[in-house]
Amino acid sequence: MTDLISISDDDLVLLYYGEQDDPQLAAAVARSDLLTARFEALSAELRMADAYQPPERDKGYGESVWRSIAPRLEREEQGFVQKLAQGWRAVSRPRFSFAGMASVVLVALLAFALGQVATRPGATPPGQTPVATSASIDPERLLAATVGRHLEQLDQVLTEFVNTSEPGAMPSDWATDMLVANRLYRQSATARGDRKLAGFLADIEPLLIEMAYEAQVGSGTTFERMQDEVRNKLLFRVRVMNTRLNQPQIRT
Amino acid sequence: MSEEEQKTIQAAAAGDRMAFRELVLEHSQAMFRLAWRLCGDEGMAEDIVQEAFIKAWRGMDGFRMDASFRSWLHRITVNTGMDYLRKQSRRDQFESEDPGFETLEGAQWPSHDAQIDIRRETEAAMRDLSDTERAALLLRHFEGHSIKEIAQILELTSDACKQAVFRAVRKMRAALQPLAGV
Repeated sequence: MTDLISISDDDLVLLYYGEQDDPQLAAAVARSDLLTARFEALSAELRMADAYQPPERDKGYGESVWRSIAPRLEREEQGFVQKLAQGWRAVSRPRFSFAGMASVVLVALLAFALGQVATRPGATPPGQTPVATSASIDPERLLAATVGRHLEQLDQVLTEFVNTSEPGAMPSDWATDMLVANRLYRQSATARGDRKLAGFLADIEPLLIEMAYEAQVGSGTTFERMQDEVRNKLLFRVRVMNTRLNQPQIRT
Repeated sequence: MSEEEQKTIQAAAAGDRMAFRELVLEHSQAMFRLAWRLCGDEGMAEDIVQEAFIKAWRGMDGFRMDASFRSWLHRITVNTGMDYLRKQSRRDQFESEDPGFETLEGAQWPSHDAQIDIRRETEAAMRDLSDTERAALLLRHFEGHSIKEIAQILELTSDACKQAVFRAVRKMRAALQPLAGV
């Protein structure tokens, strides 16, 4: 039987919202005048909170939200496609940037580990099926390791970015390389079902797109604003995520 | 989730912007209400809604069809809203811009002003909650999410979520109790 003395206001809150742990609680309250009075007082006060109502939005609100965000969605897609094209052109040039080269190599390794079958010349006897060599590689750990390296590189270039005083001082392709790699790792994380990591990489993408664009056109005012955003918003998050990826027991 | 909504979500996840537009039209009002209750400011709430939809678009390919799309959107909205609140002073954003409040200062209160009093006290009580307490309370009280769903949205344990709701209710009751029966 439910102990009436031990029924707290917190229990009554759960009862109010239909989430009580004790199935006998409602009956116990109904049997007791004191508990009934307490419950009714709680209910009345919580009903008063219903006065906290937002201002109305008219029927066209959804359309106005769409009109506001549609150009951004389109810009992001176009920006990504352009930068992806630029990025691939950049990494296909004879002279690679460090980030672009590292990204291509690491993504190739990642693709291999995530389900591609590779054969070594001469390793498979004629007439036999090639043996998958990805079995010994843990895809999840490889993803964490490669994204960790990406974040380390990002940390280095972003630190350099916030400390430079000249808008044009950074190499023009560094942001593009970072953006391309970031997008590919995000897609890998999504494919692996790692929503937290994919979400984090998605969150930092818009700033990378903007930085890649600004690296091309250059603007004193925008440059300072972006330095502030990187310094105040991005750097810390990159470092925290990288720390988490380096802790094997706390994978995202 | 209805079959029609499932198809719309799948299309949006595949990159169909017009399908995503349908989702925006369907969920904007509810997201605005949630965002406003979280931050108390119309302009900020509108920004939160737009930003949340942008994030939802980017993350559509990661949405699992066996989950609740509404809960998923609420999670994004709450997280976006809490980011906004962390950046700006909560007290500044919660100041009422309704000129009606200023003109009634110090005046005799006819009975219909009791409603304004309750609303003002509720707003003040919500302002005094922590971001987590406010988010937990509005998701439970106004949006009808279960404690388990709220815990997933806010990335808390169920116990921590319950405690947040309990603290929020205690503070709310302390503010509203003097007005009970008015």
